[in-house]
Order: sequence, then structure tokens, then C-alpha cells
Amino acid sequence: MSLSRVGAIAVRILKQFRHDRRTVALIVIVPLVVMALIGYLIGDSGKEQLPVAVVNLDAGVETQAGHVSLGGEIAAALGRQDQIEVHAVTSEQAAIDQVRSGDVAGALVMPADLTRRVLSGGGSVRVVVGGTDPNVQGPVLRATQAAVLSVATSAASTVGFQAPPLSVEPVSLAGGPNLSPLDYDAPILLTFFAFFLTFLLTSVSFLRERSSGTLERLMASPVSRLEVLLGYLLGFIGFAMAQALLILGYATWVLDVRIAGSIWLVLLVLVVLLVGVVNLGIALSFYARNELQVVQFMPLILVPQVFLGGLIWPVQTLWPPLRLLSQLLPLTHSTVALRAVMVGGVGFGDVAGRLLALLAFSVAMVALGVLALRKQRA
Amino acid sequence: MDANRGAAIEASGLVRTFGHLRALDGLDLSIRTGEIMGLVGPNGAGKTTFIRVVAGLLRPTDGTVRVLEHAPGRRVAADVGYMTQAAALYEDLPVLDNLLFFARLFGLPGDEAKTRAAELLDLVSLGGKERVPVRALSGGMRQLTNLACAMVHRPRLLLLDEPTVGIDPVLRLRLWDHFRELNDAGTTILVTTHVMEEAERCHRVALIGAGRAIAVGTPEELRGAARTETIEEAYLVFWNRDPNGDPS
Repeated sequence: MSLSRVGAIAVRILKQFRHDRRTVALIVIVPLVVMALIGYLIGDSGKEQLPVAVVNLDAGVETQAGHVSLGGEIAAALGRQDQIEVHAVTSEQAAIDQVRSGDVAGALVMPADLTRRVLSGGGSVRVVVGGTDPNVQGPVLRATQAAVLSVATSAASTVGFQAPPLSVEPVSLAGGPNLSPLDYDAPILLTFFAFFLTFLLTSVSFLRERSSGTLERLMASPVSRLEVLLGYLLGFIGFAMAQALLILGYATWVLDVRIAGSIWLVLLVLVVLLVGVVNLGIALSFYARNELQVVQFMPLILVPQVFLGGLIWPVQTLWPPLRLLSQLLPLTHSTVALRAVMVGGVGFGDVAGRLLALLAFSVAMVALGVLALRKQRA
Repeated sequence: MDANRGAAIEASGLVRTFGHLRALDGLDLSIRTGEIMGLVGPNGAGKTTFIRVVAGLLRPTDGTVRVLEHAPGRRVAADVGYMTQAAALYEDLPVLDNLLFFARLFGLPGDEAKTRAAELLDLVSLGGKERVPVRALSGGMRQLTNLACAMVHRPRLLLLDEPTVGIDPVLRLRLWDHFRELNDAGTTILVTTHVMEEAERCHRVALIGAGRAIAVGTPEELRGAARTETIEEAYLVFWNRDPNGDPS
């Protein structure tokens, strides 16, 4: 054992890194970005509240103790919950529309005869949720239940009743109570792995095309930049879609995940997403000198999308600038769209907006790819 | 060779910089249609940069260059064959697939591509190796495959960047015979070389130094003007005579 030989190897590694400034920058930047996001998202501080529409139709009841309206009290109690921001809405239909569009995480509907029914033996409030995202509906349901419980307990002392029978009736616009966690998560896994594997495959292959000199050879031929990109696109979309079908097939037949909507719509969402990813891989490979740097790009590309794209935490609770950023991330849109189709069973019209966003991402990435190739003919 | 035909490549005042480095520094050179022009000079003289500019891979910083009467790039790419210094091939693909791929890029129809590939494999003595992946080939064989790929579309202008590096003398002679055949059939060839015996086989030779052509002429003319036995010695004479000025 020679310490000087060991030292020579260690020093050589440090020297190599010193000449590879991009790697050094990534070594510093990647953990900072990842830790900042984790610190922000897991720590509660600074997190925004989930918007919930409240429709209070409760007329209340005149008692000896005065006018009693449980609806108003429940609304107030819900407003006091940390995670919830109450938006008063006048009609149930308007509230449901807001849930459907994703403007609010859920809607609490209190019927006109709520107080009367409770006092005469039993009443319930309805909580309407989208039904495709457990990260959104879970907190809404829990907060509503807590608010209802606190009102029921305090009303008992005010009115002199035992805790009145007051229950929460969850209503899912799509999906339903029979769904397993896997049903909810399958769309996430599908979109995440399709993204991850396609990005890795394209960026490394294109890097090889560049480092082996064959790209230069292509560029010295009559082939145009767009032709190179389209050729890559066709080649890799084939692979990527085969992979996606494998995941989808396994999920459906082996894991018994249900796909409520059209499988063609699922595939359409994936194709539009992957067109962008292939070009992102090509464009980024120009900023990497070797495979190591490509691998280092992965956390920078994936971690923000996983954390901000609604895969783990609801987009609605993000700090507004981050929420805006999340709308620029393709996984945000593909996750929502795939969940809506696979869990919610919605049709083309309901995901058209998300498809358009993914299309915009893809077009931007094709442009980025063409620009990157321009560097090759300089 | 017909000296009356127009220039295949016409470069004038060509400058290409990389940061502070002036790889080409006012290079003037005319390559006649139908000739074999050799570029001779030390490493870093600008030979490869010039070839890359002609191939349309680098834009000149200053000066002009015309290739087959057009600006370099896609418009003339179909008529130009470019053999890179290091083999630029798809390592995982067999030799034949590499050839067929480049043939298709240059627009050869399927049958013609196959015929041409077989012809080239025979020429570069790689018959029997068509199914072998490039990564399993020796360095010399890779270089031969590389050359075959550059010639697959029968270009009017062939750019060869040190084509015979790592190739044994017997094969080198065969390749030069083939270059002569291509040339007889009308292909203009621009070839960089370190091998002086190869320079002697060119119709004309440009001695390149510090990004300029320091002398251009037939091998006999260059040796005669420098009063030397070899082109190598002639190079030194011209270099010492006028390292920075115009070729005299």
C-alpha cells in the first residue's frame, strides 16, 4: 500500500473535475435546487392554502336561544382550518363547475334545510371533489370533517342537544370510493417513466452521435436539421411508445388498474408529451460533454417536475410564482390529463387545454433542438 | 486533367478563428475541377479547418469560399464526399448497414445502394466483413469503412482528411489506385497527408503553414523552385523563405 499512489489517484480526480467546470457547477447547483424544493414543500411554512368553494344554502332555524344556522358556523369553522381557503359561491352548479375546472380543490354544499334536519334527527353536508387526485381531495375531506365535528360539538352545548347527528357525504365527480391507490398513481407512474426513460435514451444516443463524429458526417450530407430531428423523433417515439404500452399493459392486466377513458386518448397525451421530451433530450445533449453530465441533468429536469407537477403535492397549494412555474412543466399537464382520462374517464374536450399546453412544450422543444443543431454547423 | 475547366474549390482570403487562434489566416487556394490536390503541412497548419469549411461544417470568419460554384453547405452536399480524420461510424451497426445508411442519406435507391456497397466492400478488402459490427473491427478496417462511406454516393468532389493513417502499405497503394480511377472518371480530390510519397502522387500540392498556402504547384515545380529532392525539404525552404508573407 502506497499512500502516494493513492494520493496521486485522488489528486488526479480533483484535477479532472477542475477542468470540467460544468460538472462542478452541477455538483453545486443540483443539491441546492433539490434541497430548496424539498425544504419548501415538506416544511409547511409558506405553503398556500387549498381553495374550497362553499355553498351555504342553509336557512337556519329560530329556537328559544335565537336564530341558529349550522351552515354559517360550518363555513366559518372550515375557514379556520389551516390548509383551507374558503370561497363563497352562491349556487351548487357554479361550485361543481369550479371543481371540474380545477379552480377549487373541492366544494362544500350545505342544503337549505340543513339546520332543521339536524335538529330533527339527522342532516348531512356534501363535499364535492374531482375524484382524480387523492392529494387534493384528501385534505379537503379531512378539513371538512374536522370543521363539521367542531361545529357539531359546540352546537350541542349551545342548543342543549347531544352532539347532533351531522354527517359528511363525499361526492366524487369522477372515479369514486372504489378506486385503489394504484388507480390514482398509475397515470403518474406512466407519465413519469415515459418521460424519464425517453429523455435518458435520446440524450445519451444523441450525445454519442455527436461524440462519435457521425453527427458531423450527417451535417456534411444533404440532410437538413429538421430531417435529423424528425428522424430521431420517429425512431425514439417508436421505442418510447412501446415502453409506455408495456407499462400500461402491465398496469391493466397484471395490476388490475382501471382505465375509465379512451386508451387512444391516453396514447395521444403520451405521444404529444414524448415529442417534446425527445427534442429536450437532443437539445440538452448539446450542453453535455459526456454521459456523466447527461446523468447529472436528470435531477435538474425531473425533480422540479415531480415536486411541482402535482405528482406528490397539489399544485393549488404552491406559492403563486411556483404555481406559475408548474404550468410551464410538461409533467404537470400530462399528469392532470392522464388522471382525468384514466381515473375520471373524461373525453378529448376536457383535456384539450392540457394537450394544447403539451403541444406548446413540444413545439418549443423542436425549436430548441433545431437551434442546438445549428451549433453543429457553425 | 483539363486545366480549362472551372475551379472545384475557390478560396480567397479565407479566415477562420477559434477564440484567439487563427486557424485559417487569409488562405487563398484554387482547386481545379478534375485534379487531385494534396494539402501538406504540419499539425495545426489549418488543413483540417480548411476541409471542414469546404464541407460546410464551419463558417468562415472572413473571406469567401465557393465549392462547385456554390457556397458550401446543403446545396452542394450531395456532390461532396467527406472522409473525417477519425472514423465517424455507427459502432453498433454492421459495416454494410453503415454503408447503406449513408447511401440512403445521399439519396441512392435501395438496389443501387446495395450494388455500390458491395463494390466498395470489395475495393477496400472488407468483403466478408459486411455483417461485422464496426466496434469489432481493427483500427485500419474502421478507417477503410470510413472511406467507403465517404465514397458511397460517387461524389464529384472527394474531401479526404488523412485517409491512409493506420492503413498498411499494400492497402494504401490499392486505395491510391482507386483514387486515380475515381479521378480518371472525373472526381476532384482534395486530400491532406503527412506521407510525402502520397504528396508525390497528387497533380498539385499546396503547402500549408500558419493558416495560409505558402506555395502551390506540381510536386516537380515545388521541388524545382526550392531546389530540393523532396517535398518535405521544399516545405522547409518555402517556410523559411516567407513564413508570413505571400507565396512567392
